[in-house]
Amino acid sequence: MPDITKQKMEQIALMWNARGSGLITHMALEIEDVAIEGVRVRMPFNPDFCVDSDQTLLHGGILTALLDSVFGLANFVAIEGVSTMATLDLRVDYLRPARSRADVIVRAHCFRQTRHIAFNAGSISFDGHEDAEIARGTASFALTRGDISLFEAMTKGKAS
Amino acid sequence: MNLQTVNANVSRVPFFRFLNFEVQSLGALHAVAEMTFEPRHIGNPVMELYHGGIIASFMEAAAAIAVHPDFADVPAKPINLTVDYLRPAPKGPLYARANVTRKGKRIASVSVISWQISEEKPVAEGLYHFLLV
Repeated sequence: MPDITKQKMEQIALMWNARGSGLITHMALEIEDVAIEGVRVRMPFNPDFCVDSDQTLLHGGILTALLDSVFGLANFVAIEGVSTMATLDLRVDYLRPARSRADVIVRAHCFRQTRHIAFNAGSISFDGHEDAEIARGTASFALTRGDISLFEAMTKGKAS
Repeated sequence: MNLQTVNANVSRVPFFRFLNFEVQSLGALHAVAEMTFEPRHIGNPVMELYHGGIIASFMEAAAAIAVHPDFADVPAKPINLTVDYLRPAPKGPLYARANVTRKGKRIASVSVISWQISEEKPVAEGLYHFLLV
């Protein structure tokens, strides 16, 4: 399998930074590792994402949002010539209470791609406790392929 | 359980404030809520669409309230979820209706539908399980 080119890495960084005030920016995601075989992303602790007044317990929904986002990144890296992608369905198991103020680590990969569909799996844990997963998810995405890449569409949209 | 008390509970949950929604109606086994669009909800900045994870989070919040509207501290404990995304959701209000399909001693099953203009054209549909013990 070919290595990811420097140009593609730069595109990925640009794409994520071009997201303005959206959720991905709000989650302050940091890409730690990208490969066709899978990606690893860090989300710093954010008290806004908690359910309790002590702000130590993350809401499940933010873990679901995190998986959805990182699946998108894994697809962008693993699949050539994707124009757009849309989440078709998503299943998440909450394996443990997400009680910690540690950073959250997400690992995700695309385990099968066809012309129209991508299949993903991923897991979430707290930094330093990667043997104790807090959530696991699977998803499928509908892909449209074309000359205009997702990256171009986003940067053009940004410029207009 | 009146709406004012439930919405007061909702406003005490940091993540529910992040979502910015209000419970509009409540029954023994159902809840309807309306979420106000915020730029932080965006998943696709080109088309200004809601992030799928925000839609799933909002549906989970509505489901938890239908299961346990009078939560004192934290909302009902979620076990897992499945969401089907049916249509893109552009900026604007988003609604969710949660119906508790079954509430046993330990586990509740909740079916949730989310829409914008008309309930006949849902944006997403989901099934959520909660642990009651």
